[in-house]
Amino acid sequence: MAVAAALGKAVKTFLLAATLLGLPALAGAASFTVIVAGLGGEAEYEKRFREQAASLAEAAEKAAGDKSHVVVLAGEQARRDSLRREFQAFAGKIKASDTATVVLIGHGTYDGEEYRFNIPGADITGSELGQLFDKLPAKQQLIVNATSSSGATIEAWQRPERVVITATKTGGERTATRFAQFWLQAVSTDAADVNKDEVVTAAEAFDYANRQVAASYKSEVALATEHARIAGEETATFALARVGSSALSGSSPEVAALLAQRGKIEQDLDGVKGRKAALSQDEYYDQLEGVLVRLAQLQKQIDSKRVVQ
Amino acid sequence: MTRRLPQLLLLAATFAAGSALAQPIDYDPRRAPELRACDEHQYHGRVDQARACYSQLVNSPNAVMQAEALWAIGDLQRANECFRDFVKANARAVQPRIRWARLFLQTHQYNDAAELFRDALKIFPNDPHAKIGLARVLAERFEGEAGPLLEEVLREHDDLVEAHLLSAQLALEAGQHEAAQKALERAGDLAGKQKLPPLEIFALRAAVETSRDRDAQPWIKRALDYNPRYGAVYEQLAHFEIMRRRYREATSLLQRAIEVQPDLWSARAELGSNLLRLGQIEEARQQLTAAYSGDPYSPTTVNSLRLLDRIDQFDVSSTPVAVAGDTYVVRLRLHRSESSVLEPYAIDLTQQAITAFSRRYGFKLQEPVTVELYPDHDDFAVRVAALPGIGLLGVTFGYVVAMDSPSGRASGDFHWGSTLWHELAHVFTLEATDHRVPRWLSEGISVFEEWRTGPTPGVVVPPDVITALSEDKFLPVADLDGGFIRPAYPNQIQVSYVQAGLICLFIEQRWGFERVAALLHQFDRANVTTAAAVQATFKMAPADFDKEFDAFLHSRYGALLTGMNEYQAQYQAARKSIQSEQWSDAATTAKRAAELYPEHVGPGSPHLLLARALDKLGRRPEAIVAVEKYRNAGGWDPTALRELARWLDEAGRDQDATAVLQSLNYADPLNAEQHVQLGERLLADNRAEDSLREFRVLLALREHDQAPALFGAARALYALGDRAASRRNVLDALAAAPHYKPAQEFLLKIVEERTKNE
Repeated sequence: MAVAAALGKAVKTFLLAATLLGLPALAGAASFTVIVAGLGGEAEYEKRFREQAASLAEAAEKAAGDKSHVVVLAGEQARRDSLRREFQAFAGKIKASDTATVVLIGHGTYDGEEYRFNIPGADITGSELGQLFDKLPAKQQLIVNATSSSGATIEAWQRPERVVITATKTGGERTATRFAQFWLQAVSTDAADVNKDEVVTAAEAFDYANRQVAASYKSEVALATEHARIAGEETATFALARVGSSALSGSSPEVAALLAQRGKIEQDLDGVKGRKAALSQDEYYDQLEGVLVRLAQLQKQIDSKRVVQ
Repeated sequence: MTRRLPQLLLLAATFAAGSALAQPIDYDPRRAPELRACDEHQYHGRVDQARACYSQLVNSPNAVMQAEALWAIGDLQRANECFRDFVKANARAVQPRIRWARLFLQTHQYNDAAELFRDALKIFPNDPHAKIGLARVLAERFEGEAGPLLEEVLREHDDLVEAHLLSAQLALEAGQHEAAQKALERAGDLAGKQKLPPLEIFALRAAVETSRDRDAQPWIKRALDYNPRYGAVYEQLAHFEIMRRRYREATSLLQRAIEVQPDLWSARAELGSNLLRLGQIEEARQQLTAAYSGDPYSPTTVNSLRLLDRIDQFDVSSTPVAVAGDTYVVRLRLHRSESSVLEPYAIDLTQQAITAFSRRYGFKLQEPVTVELYPDHDDFAVRVAALPGIGLLGVTFGYVVAMDSPSGRASGDFHWGSTLWHELAHVFTLEATDHRVPRWLSEGISVFEEWRTGPTPGVVVPPDVITALSEDKFLPVADLDGGFIRPAYPNQIQVSYVQAGLICLFIEQRWGFERVAALLHQFDRANVTTAAAVQATFKMAPADFDKEFDAFLHSRYGALLTGMNEYQAQYQAARKSIQSEQWSDAATTAKRAAELYPEHVGPGSPHLLLARALDKLGRRPEAIVAVEKYRNAGGWDPTALRELARWLDEAGRDQDATAVLQSLNYADPLNAEQHVQLGERLLADNRAEDSLREFRVLLALREHDQAPALFGAARALYALGDRAASRRNVLDALAAAPHYKPAQEFLLKIVEERTKNE
């Protein structure tokens, strides 16, 4: 039992490390992304939404390592029939062990009862979109609704293992949002990667975009008309993008083994940080150094293996 | 008409009648004789008798008398109701409407008061008391129309005491002592004949004497002999001391006012505000709380108390700075959310300012200087004037400087470093002269120092000032204070600032800088007028000084004034060409516009139009020259300067680019990316100490992403030879971000080095 428990822990550590560093997260698992650019209404918004969708797709393709895992629906392709059809076709490619990300860019409205995403033709409601997401086989899902009034959807779209992010706090925040532009920065640069592990998680991307939105209003001394929200339990482990050198290479069993070792050292690091209050300053830094030197040396090994690949 | 006093007034019912506001003197001959009998007690300080007398009238069948009696005993809510009901039932009533307006005036609701006075004038356009009331409202708001309105009244009604009193007050505020005295003498004669109380006349006579640095005691004595509880005599004196920025003197007078009349709530409120100006926070709170208990209507008191409730959100630091062998203490009061970011730059700039101004003006600060930066502009506005919404950027109260924080305004809206420099110059001009320096000269020197020694040197004369110059709106030097105190046209204060700066520039160019300092020190002595100071410093009459100044202006701006039409044409053409992306045309016209008006460095500067056009034409070196000219002329737009830094980098001028980025810390210090760049650049340039400062600021700006700042600090400390601190910083960086590769490499390097040396 003790062995099994220990083994279980090791496996869990390995899975965590692989989830964070590997995209796709597990052997045989893949990440899929659907990006929908809604109706702009004005030429400026139309252009902005399409450009953002294209740039997000580029980042998602880089992360997935496979262009066919990413689909952008804009213009006529964003009509409700087309959306249904494309989601259905996309769902056919996805397995339960894969991860699925959906990003909605554009304008949304909320009439007090129902959220509507503005697309060419008749708008699609929040309930209809929710049904489309539910049909995606991937258990781990991330839904990013970057539209105005998107806050109206957060509760309705929550599911186990699904992370939902909305650009606004409620359906009442109706002004065109800035969230998408900063979300794009978060997944396409290393700016959001605060722990510098070269993987941007949903939590990191949300935190970055949320801060940047607030900062942009503050710099203009303008009243913020959007306040983003995040819901779900997997926010810190839902990997979205690779940045830095990890973006250039995949993983091998050998690297995976080293990553497992790294996971153990990370646990040691958490241990030292947890004991900080009980240690003298010298003891704390000595212990910290010991762990961090081991980690740094191991990282060099990991990087050398990646270069060889 | 339905009118309600706002919520605060309704609260008045909960206050004891004894703590209510005293009714001001009513000079209107239409006042009922029954009330006048009670007034006699009131004006002589026989409070109990007055109260008993008014109380007998509160059930009078005459609604207006009832309202007056209720007001006099402090029941303002019922007084308001009586006036309201009466006016509603008597749509053509004039005098009750004017009195109702006075009630609003007393409770600081100036808009409502003005509206009621205007309503009265619609019914009876020539009512002089309505006009005087309206003039009082305008005077309370320091609006220039007060004077002409009073003149209009006096032309037709030279026998009105209150008109002469208000006229004297305005004259005194403008420093016109003779005119004030003449008006008061006339008011005194009239009051005697009309058997009106001379209290306000005595108080203003005392103020005239004080303004002339003469003994005011005889007039104070006469006022107190008439009414031993007449604290307003001291309050009036304090008002004029505050106008002269002599806050310590005002504090003593206000303390005296409340000793004589403990329920003089306006004096307590002013004392609280004045103590705030002097940085005595707790004492201020006590007085403001007391003032609120008696006068809950004053927005200034309420706003100040609300601000004080948030004062614990500010960090207070004291830093000794060394200047030319002396040590001065700089106190900073910065909001906790940004104190770590702004403190190093605020200290640095203050130290530079103390160094420059001590030397230039031959004065050593005698007390610590306090700098307060407010991220919320309304907090700053409350701090300085107790009213939100004012358009100032900074204010100096002797050794205390209060100003907007850079976070309180949009990036590019204001240059906080120049504002601080401007205010610190005031500290010197005020304190060197014991606050006797006239407003125009203090402002003029501050503007001049911004141009000459500040963080954005360059003489900046905005287009609206050029327009004022072309319209001959500059004032004679002896009258320039009037342009600040009671502006006669919308942007006259701004024009007066620049005119005052130009006068200092003219003095420097005509006689040398020493004469600017010499002119300032004329005011070391009491009772010196601008005219006398000009005469003594330049050995010429003010009128001759004005002529020479005018010649200087025409020599400096003559080409622009005659070519203004051409400038406008070229400038507009440049803008149009840029919009239509006709870069060659834009370059030609913008170049000419910049030649004609090089001092236009505000938004839309022709220098920047030129730079943009040249860059688009692929003429980057010339574009760089254009932005550099803009910068040398005092331009500081953060976006333009960031672009300049990038261009300089691309041109291989790294150090110049670094200097430009460093200058941005005094315009836009809250940009984290700027500190990342500066930290790295300065480190690469072997300026580890400066680099460390940038990384520490970055650490404060990016609490959520500390690893890069800690890693930068680790390298800067390493370069400074502090291995132990460097190690701690890199370990902290990696504790926050364990996979941060550059920090990992640095850690392995320092451990290896250490091992080798062991």
